[in-house]
Amino acid sequence: MIKKRSTLSFFIPRRWSPRQEMKSYFTFRNYRRVWLILIVSLALTCLVPLSIITVTHQRIVDRAMNVERILRAERVTSNARRSVGNFLAERMDALRFIVNEVDYEKLSRNDQLENLLKNLTVGFGGISDLGVIKEDGTQVAYVGQFNLKGKNYHNEPWFKQCMASGQYISDVFKGFRGVPHIILSVKAKSPSGDFFILRATLDTAKLIQTVRSYQISDYADLFLINHDGIIQTPSTTYGDGQQKILFNVPAYSARTHAFEIRDLKGRPFVLGYAYILAGETKTPFILIDLKQNAPMGTIWDQSKIKAMRIFYVSVFVILLIVFLSSTYMINRLYMSDSIKAHTLKAAEHKSQLASIGQLAAGVAHEINNPLAVINEEAGYMMDLISMGDSPPDNAELTEHMQSILDSVERCGTITRQLLFFARQFDVKIMSFHPADIISDVLKFFKKEAEYRNITLTVDVSPRTPVIVSDKGKFQQVFVNLINNAFQAMEDSGKLDIEMSPMDPDFVCVTVRDTGCGIPDENLSKIFDPFFTTKGEHEGTGLGLSITYGLMQKLKGKIDVKSKVGTGTTFKLIFPLNIEGESKS
Amino acid sequence: MKVLLVDDQTQFVSVLTRRLNMRGIDSVCAFSPDEALKIVETTRFDIAILDMKMPGLSGIELRRLLHQKDQNMKFIFLTGHGSEVDFKVGSAEASFFLPKPLNIDKLIEAINETASEKP
Repeated sequence: MIKKRSTLSFFIPRRWSPRQEMKSYFTFRNYRRVWLILIVSLALTCLVPLSIITVTHQRIVDRAMNVERILRAERVTSNARRSVGNFLAERMDALRFIVNEVDYEKLSRNDQLENLLKNLTVGFGGISDLGVIKEDGTQVAYVGQFNLKGKNYHNEPWFKQCMASGQYISDVFKGFRGVPHIILSVKAKSPSGDFFILRATLDTAKLIQTVRSYQISDYADLFLINHDGIIQTPSTTYGDGQQKILFNVPAYSARTHAFEIRDLKGRPFVLGYAYILAGETKTPFILIDLKQNAPMGTIWDQSKIKAMRIFYVSVFVILLIVFLSSTYMINRLYMSDSIKAHTLKAAEHKSQLASIGQLAAGVAHEINNPLAVINEEAGYMMDLISMGDSPPDNAELTEHMQSILDSVERCGTITRQLLFFARQFDVKIMSFHPADIISDVLKFFKKEAEYRNITLTVDVSPRTPVIVSDKGKFQQVFVNLINNAFQAMEDSGKLDIEMSPMDPDFVCVTVRDTGCGIPDENLSKIFDPFFTTKGEHEGTGLGLSITYGLMQKLKGKIDVKSKVGTGTTFKLIFPLNIEGESKS
Repeated sequence: MKVLLVDDQTQFVSVLTRRLNMRGIDSVCAFSPDEALKIVETTRFDIAILDMKMPGLSGIELRRLLHQKDQNMKFIFLTGHGSEVDFKVGSAEASFFLPKPLNIDKLIEAINETASEKP
């Protein structure tokens, strides 16, 4: 019958573990474990190197990507810095040009100043008013949207700074106008020897435009901050103005720098920055180029995605093959183990029958002798009746009948022994004294020993305790071993059996014969099934392998020492209680 | 005609000897090979009936020893243990090979036939 196999059966073995009674014949007890170990070890040997290669590759790509992003940020920042610097420097230079070229007299007149403002607006744009302030802080002339003529700036910080350093560029601030602007101012000397200041207000719109013109990608954010980290031109990341940035203000450097940072919210960026100089003049501005990690799309990302795709496909294929091959292997292993197990079990059964047969032959001989006696006695009595001269004497008849009864009794004893012995082959855990079993077994060998002049000695230590074990198996172990010893020995050999307790939980029995011995090269093979040195028809090669199997079932151990020509010693160790947890 | 019976089963061999004597066959029994070897020192036997298996010495070995002492002696083997090897050797080295328990008439037949054999 062909069973239809589901796809799953290619991935998961059909049988996990043999039936309880078959377990001891299988190589493994739990095939699920073997299967798992096979899968895990195969998968690991394939996946670990693959993962290492993939991760290393990704790292290299990431590093290259970062280096490129940093370099690009540096380039953009550097360009933008130059532009913003130039933007401010141009306007400062214009103011310087005015104070050097135009007389103070003209400058302090509103109509002249208005002309200048017009020309400046045409030439540069972004300048919304102009003012001239005397040394004492009074604005002597002003053109623009507001009427600020006469206002005194004496106490303003920018005024003080400009007086001190000769020029001044302010932060972006709203002031009382409510519109973000920058104050540019330069100090000059009037013909009368007094100092005065030309001050211009710069709209930020054009500055913002200049900065923005370098913002080429959606993920870049170019803006200015002052030295305190307050945003000066709109930032798409942190807001339009006057907020503080969420990372530390980078330290002063004359050069442009770029590196990776995380802001206070933990967002990763590539940060490019540069302190802006307007020509030689220091400005309060720092150009910031924040670049978010752009989501997928770059050539690097594509290569990363491709590598990952290859990785996932490889993992899938490897796992598929590992599962298929492991399952196939386990199925085959299970099948061949199963065949082996059934062969062994059948052979074991056959050999058990054979050893019973051997015993039966011995017993038949045992029974035959009393039968022969009965035969002769009965025949003799018949002879007395039919051939005797006189009717037989009662006393004589009684004597011979008694002899018949004695012989029948002997037969009865032997059959009882055999029945008792045969019954032991059922699995039965019970308590018994090992010496009793050995003496039972030896009864069947006594006659042969007598004929072959083999000396049997049994030395039982009086401390040997009663054990709890499978009596039938225990018995069969000794039938097998003594049988082997008898076959190995020439006539007039010696078979010694010694028994003593060992440790608190074990009994040790040694069976020593003076047989032919086992050569060293065979010693390791004698417990293998079908190993035999006897001829083809003499031995099955199973005796000792079955004994070994029996010892395992009895949770015992068997050990062999042998010397060719001297004899062989089997050392057997039995647990006191087969059902107890043995402390090994 | 004189017959020697050798078997370690004393009961069996002594009753059998008595029965042979009752049938007019002059028989003597020995309970061990040693005893048999001693008896043949003093008495001459035509036929020896030997058990195949005896402690110490097997029937076949005893036959050889007896044959050395008396080339004319003829042999019948008895066995309680029908092994194939024993049967082959026994048939080759003796005139008859009879299983136990014995039928007395068959034994007598065998004795007569053996006695009439040429040495």
